Amino acid sequence: MNAIAAETFDLTIAGLTPVVPRGELHQKIDELDFGQIYEDNLGLLVAIAMRKFQVPEVDAEALAHEVFYSYLKRKSEIRDLHPWLIGAICHASRYFWRQNGRRTEQLDHSWAVLRPDPASAGINDLLPAQLAAREILEALPSRYQEILRLRYYEGYSIREIADYLGVTAKYTQKLVTKCLRRAEQMYNAAPPRKKP
Amino acid sequence: MNHSDDLQHLADCPSCRERFSENILPFNAARRREGARAFAASAAQIERERENASDIVDRQLRQTPIAEWPGLAESLTLRNNAALEQMSEEIRKCIERKPVEALAIANLAASIAETLPANSYPLAVMAQIRSTALRDRANALRYLGRLDEAYHSIEMAEARLGEFPGLAHDRAIIWLVKAMIQGQMDLFDEAEQMITAASVAFADVNDLPRFFQAGLVYGNLLGRQKRYKDAQRIFGDLLDVATSTGDQETQARLFNNLGHCAIYLDDYARANIHFSESIARFTDLGLRAEVPRTNLGAALVLIGKGRVDSGLARLENARHAFIELGMMGEAGLCALRIIEVLIDRGDTGKARALTTIVIDEFEAAGVDARAVQAVASLQSSIDVDGATGETVRTVHEFVQGLTTDQAQAS
Repeated sequence: MNAIAAETFDLTIAGLTPVVPRGELHQKIDELDFGQIYEDNLGLLVAIAMRKFQVPEVDAEALAHEVFYSYLKRKSEIRDLHPWLIGAICHASRYFWRQNGRRTEQLDHSWAVLRPDPASAGINDLLPAQLAAREILEALPSRYQEILRLRYYEGYSIREIADYLGVTAKYTQKLVTKCLRRAEQMYNAAPPRKKP
Repeated sequence: MNHSDDLQHLADCPSCRERFSENILPFNAARRREGARAFAASAAQIERERENASDIVDRQLRQTPIAEWPGLAESLTLRNNAALEQMSEEIRKCIERKPVEALAIANLAASIAETLPANSYPLAVMAQIRSTALRDRANALRYLGRLDEAYHSIEMAEARLGEFPGLAHDRAIIWLVKAMIQGQMDLFDEAEQMITAASVAFADVNDLPRFFQAGLVYGNLLGRQKRYKDAQRIFGDLLDVATSTGDQETQARLFNNLGHCAIYLDDYARANIHFSESIARFTDLGLRAEVPRTNLGAALVLIGKGRVDSGLARLENARHAFIELGMMGEAGLCALRIIEVLIDRGDTGKARALTTIVIDEFEAAGVDARAVQAVASLQSSIDVDGATGETVRTVHEFVQGLTTDQAQAS
């Protein structure tokens, strides 16, 4: 662990490369071993990307390939290969979807003018509730916010959130319920909002 | 053991990994072999360069005047990944004490990285190389307070990785630096979002040291917003992790930070307990210099909060510990803090007596003559017009600058 200033609340934390104690690192790996690591683990990484995150096969392979290259540069810091590889492919898969989820076809402008946006139906009734929900979400503790965002904004399943948090699905369901209950309490305690 | 497809279990269980991977891949065997071959060849190239580079960067930097470092970008021996890795390490080592030098190295590294032929390494590795150089440059600029430039550089570093979702670990480190820059720019909401994302990524890849680092940055961000209760909660959560992993040094630093939080929350009894815990761990680890530093930090906060007697007691304690360790420069700086308090209290007699002791100590220890002269001037000032706290702070700053220079020289 690198320097953390004795006088606290100071952002000057310097070292970005953690010093890993000797003996905990991987032994020196030769070219053959690198090839072997790749062959041994490629299937696992692709399987995780495809089965856990529904990444298409071609993209899953590309992600796995990048994870291996990332490993080349970082290997001196990695204490335990498999947890690192698995963590990296999970994060890569989520990032992949964050990037690709935004890629939607643009609607032709003239057609858009003629045809009302179905999402606008009943907007006068829904908007106040939506605004209140947003305010309440922002007022919740960050962990609660994150869980509710994953479940209701990004549409992850309970199982996926459980994998993401590294806990069981049953516990995740309880967490989501707890977050909703807390949000509901705050919603009920808030003053009524006028319609626009 | 209960076998499952749970990711944590897969990390630990070879047979489940094998089972999980089965039948998912209608793999093209030739493509797979080609992928493995290309990966192994790149690995061999990178390893070979690391072996051949030895201490090339250190030698070239030492043999070249700093003004001529930009010209080193043309040196063929430095135009490879291994040399750039060494530059990154040099920057890490000197960024706190010599940020100007760190920036000069970072500029050199960025200039090399950005002009390496695109086919020098696989695309993902090229992206890593370039983003690391820009990230180091951003960090050096941050240390120098050139925050707009730092932000621009870190945005460029992030953009270099944009096409490569698989470089999660590299991206998280960039987010960590970005959060620190945003924090210094008082963009607290953005910094919090960034640091949360980085923490999740570090947890994902099991990078515990950086996970702690991110947590500490987060806690510090909250502290700077005077959200001491939130900071306390973050440090407390981190302490649970550090305790479960047996990381004593991180525990010591977290107890120190918790102590500061407790002072700000006017819970002095708890603060004392936290500082004692911190000191006990630093002592156990043999990090003896951290003990008086902890006391010094606590003393300054206590004095700032008006608890002058408690602060003074900790300052005295820290000063004696520095003297026992033979750290006369630090002991003198501690004495100057005490003198400042004494002068603010109007106790100029004691303050003057202490300046005499410090002058003697500095002379006996062979501390820079300019530091001795500065303390002597302070003494004269006390005699003539009754120096103010501001006078002492100016002398403190000057002496601190000299001791830093001395540390650099050694």
